[in-house]
Amino acid sequence: MALVEDPYALLEKWLKAREFIVVGKGIERADAFDKAIGKARFVEDYFDKGVLFVKQVLSEEPHAILEGIDYSEALKIPKVVGVFTAQDIPGENQVGYALPDQPLLAEGKVRFHAEPIALVAAEDIDAAFEAVERVKVKYKPLPVILDPLEAMNRTDVLVHEENGSNIAFRTKVRKGNVEEGFAKSDVIVENEYRTHHQDHLYLETEGALAIPDFEGRITVITAAQYPHLAQSIVARVLGIPMSKVKIVIPYLGGGFGGKDDEGPLVAAKAALVAYKTGKPAFLMYTREESLRIHPKREATIIHYKSGATKDGKLMAIEVKIIHDTGAYTNRGPFILWRASVHASGPYYVPHAKVDGYCVYTNKFPQGSFRGFGNPSVQFAAEAQMDELAKKLGMDPVDFRLKNLLRPGQTTITNQLLDHSVGIAEAVEKLAKKMGWWEKRKAFTEYNKRSKRYKRGIGIGVAWHGISTSRGVPDWSNAYIKIDKDGSVTVYTGIMEMGQGSPNSSHRQIVAEVLGAPLDVIKIVFGTTDAPDTGATHASRGTSIGAIGVLVAAAKIRERLNKLAAELLNARPDDIVIANGKVYVRGNESKSMTWQELIKQAYARGVDVSATGYFFLPKGKFDDAKGQGYAYPAYSYVAVAVEVEVDTYTGRVRVLKAYPALAAGRIINPVQVEGQMEGAIAQGLGYVLMEQFVFDEKGRVLNADMTDYVVPTALDVPVVEKPVYVEDLFKYGPFGAKGVGEMALIPVPAAISNAVSHALGIRVTRLPLTPENVYFMIKKK
Amino acid sequence: MFYKLPRFNYYRVTSLNEALKLVNELEDFKVVAGGTDLVMDLKIKRYIPKNIIDISRVKELDYIVDEGDKIRIGALTRLQEIVDSPIIREKAYVLAEAVNQMASWQIRNMATIGGNLCNASPAADTAPPLYVLNAELKLVSVEGERIVPVTKFFHGPRKTELKKNELLAEIIIPVEKDAGASAIKLGRRNAFTLSIVAVATLVKVSDNKFADVRVALNSVAPTPVRAPSVEKALIGKEVSLEAVEEASKLVVNDIKPISDVRASADYRREMSIVLTRDSLLRSLERIGLKLGGEE
Repeated sequence: MALVEDPYALLEKWLKAREFIVVGKGIERADAFDKAIGKARFVEDYFDKGVLFVKQVLSEEPHAILEGIDYSEALKIPKVVGVFTAQDIPGENQVGYALPDQPLLAEGKVRFHAEPIALVAAEDIDAAFEAVERVKVKYKPLPVILDPLEAMNRTDVLVHEENGSNIAFRTKVRKGNVEEGFAKSDVIVENEYRTHHQDHLYLETEGALAIPDFEGRITVITAAQYPHLAQSIVARVLGIPMSKVKIVIPYLGGGFGGKDDEGPLVAAKAALVAYKTGKPAFLMYTREESLRIHPKREATIIHYKSGATKDGKLMAIEVKIIHDTGAYTNRGPFILWRASVHASGPYYVPHAKVDGYCVYTNKFPQGSFRGFGNPSVQFAAEAQMDELAKKLGMDPVDFRLKNLLRPGQTTITNQLLDHSVGIAEAVEKLAKKMGWWEKRKAFTEYNKRSKRYKRGIGIGVAWHGISTSRGVPDWSNAYIKIDKDGSVTVYTGIMEMGQGSPNSSHRQIVAEVLGAPLDVIKIVFGTTDAPDTGATHASRGTSIGAIGVLVAAAKIRERLNKLAAELLNARPDDIVIANGKVYVRGNESKSMTWQELIKQAYARGVDVSATGYFFLPKGKFDDAKGQGYAYPAYSYVAVAVEVEVDTYTGRVRVLKAYPALAAGRIINPVQVEGQMEGAIAQGLGYVLMEQFVFDEKGRVLNADMTDYVVPTALDVPVVEKPVYVEDLFKYGPFGAKGVGEMALIPVPAAISNAVSHALGIRVTRLPLTPENVYFMIKKK
Repeated sequence: MFYKLPRFNYYRVTSLNEALKLVNELEDFKVVAGGTDLVMDLKIKRYIPKNIIDISRVKELDYIVDEGDKIRIGALTRLQEIVDSPIIREKAYVLAEAVNQMASWQIRNMATIGGNLCNASPAADTAPPLYVLNAELKLVSVEGERIVPVTKFFHGPRKTELKKNELLAEIIIPVEKDAGASAIKLGRRNAFTLSIVAVATLVKVSDNKFADVRVALNSVAPTPVRAPSVEKALIGKEVSLEAVEEASKLVVNDIKPISDVRASADYRREMSIVLTRDSLLRSLERIGLKLGGEE
């Protein structure tokens, strides 16, 4: 019998599994103990004596011609080894991800306050700080443009002259005929929504240590989310082949997308100094630098019009989305694209028209952040749903249930969803479990009696496409080898930033598929020594990112079953390998140990190493028509919250949150609960307190943790256990679709809908700080 | 970790006398007690002093003593010690209540009450309760000592009554009998944050009339302030919800808030009224007078 090696067949085979050894269980993650006792090492922990300390010279102007950089005084300081500018870059000074518009170090002009201009390297920290102060940059200031609406309509001030416009990128989605849709609508709601920037505020700021090694390579230990991307950016900047750059991503103190953007850049800066000096070089952003420099969650203006019939069917949406992308597009076009195709929310809409604009201004760039363009547009879409329900005299959940996508329906890009669409079931289960209808009534009654405190309950329902969009190639891979003693080493490019994919779910998947005991499985993660696995972003660590791990393990398992069948005199299909024991199904006396089986594999010529390359099948999107294939599948999520508003102070308290998830197979429920709780806390911070304050020159006035305020334990509500609908996805490992971003996406919608319910005032702007809520009430 | 502090000479003392000698002799110095404000300020270069005098090990200034009609608190008493002190909780609860709303447990275990006062931030959270308790401060120098009311201590942001050679040694709190007092803080989150406004009030009532009323606020003027307009309007009046609400509105006459990254002046003004009202009602409740107003 021929061995099955086809990845699609192997994925399908394991998708059919119905009984599990470790999958679906709350297995303790491999790094829990080391992290609890402080043994786990992060980038900063590798900094040591003898390493050059690097500091950045940052622009003091938001928009200016760079007329000269004089660092002669800096070089006079003993222990200063060098100052490096764009002129010193041996390769390309071009690091834009979506469009070639962003230099690593400013060249010709600066486009935002705190844009990096030069790198100073010194033998100690104090000398580096002093040198930065002695670098003299000559600026010729240009007019500053901060408002994206103004920027869109002006061509006399251009952030990028070469573009000829401040509009960097446009998107378009078209379905049916919106005029016809609105004509058939009995109710129409039209509003403008605004959302603001958010910082990731990971505990660990951006950092990298670059070490020139004896093989003529540069090894960079860096805080990034995609080792192979950091590798290619470093190679590009240095003008050397990727094979001469090795990236190691140790444990990270949080990423949330921020280190997917800034990680490769901080690696390239450290690598540039190491390459030019031949010495190990270390760069770590201070908190203030991190807040000023790295890209943030998109700030948006969303104009939204929607219509529905009197029996509660959504008919049409017309949406205009404007993203303030700041000085550089970074990943802005991808973020805008995602926002545009998700603009309807997870609902069936026959007629849709969406236009997106990614607009340059003189602010820090917009970037990747948990949800990636989606929390803002779901906030708008879900506010519209509540307002339509109100006009129709329907309950918000009942109205949603009439319109939620179901298998066999099409999205607004006209993509057919043939399977894995569990959201309607999830919302219904959640509403029943939490007693939505009773609570909604009880709160409405409470508010009639209570003068000062008003209570509200609101829901946000959202969806999030899995993998890269459209036909953009996406794949997975991993390399697994089993040593003679039966211990298993897995190499993956997926990294560990607290989310746990390598150390919990990957380990579980390998243990499940191979049958090896958990404690002999070691995952080597975040390294370019593994084959390119794609990034740890887009909620893909345990979904697309883990397919490679599953396929590699499944290939080896096929071979081991054949070998065990020969040794135990049975059919390969009857071989069971579980928790390190190998036996024949129904006859456990015919058995051997895992270690014995591996020993036999070495003795009898069976290959116990494999790679797990998997290329995700995709369709095409027609940009001109605004229609086509958007994503292979969607994860779905709903969060309902109860709030209490003190109308005298404007303070909003979130009392309780109830999540529901339709994200395919739940590989590790404990990890998933952690993700849901963390996402709700981060979403709550965004909605209730976090915000950047700019002055008229675009300088951030609160670039520190005194005044950039995030929630503490005392601000976070009780989060109920999630409701799961395991709507398996055919290209997910065991059917898993991805979780990391999910619970954050509907939080702005859920809280603002609850506050709107409490106050009887439609929230259209975030954040809901006490002050903003107070004046919103007062205006009414 | 990777920040730079300015270069300075560092002096560490273990007795008050040593400290007083140093502040008398040295020029251009800052005194560090808990360091939770000063170290931040050094990092951001608010101060670039030539000398730092570390008094954190002057054990003789770390005490809370109950003398019956007054409580004496050493200037180097940590904030968490104040929260935990049975003496304070029994006889000056409003101070413990306010301090418990400051910073985090970790910072309260470093920061000192004297440091909070001497830092002279307009947002100093120990000030409003000490204002309404009519606390006095003992300032000492090599030349001797003097007592000043806490309300005369602040001259402006980062400016105090302290002469160059003086140190704050002790906070003296007269014990109030039959008074109700409370402290309320409004911040941008539930803990570990600077005040948008904080209010403390103290009331005494006899024959259902206000016999004494004290109201103090922070973050709404260059220094913490008392609110005499509110106090005068209430003293001698019948106790009622209407009287409290009407008088609270007068607080705007006693404050000069500014707009900054934390809040606008308008919001601070409005919140001063709400918090004054809430605190007065809570203080009355603590002497058994529940007027409602929370419906």
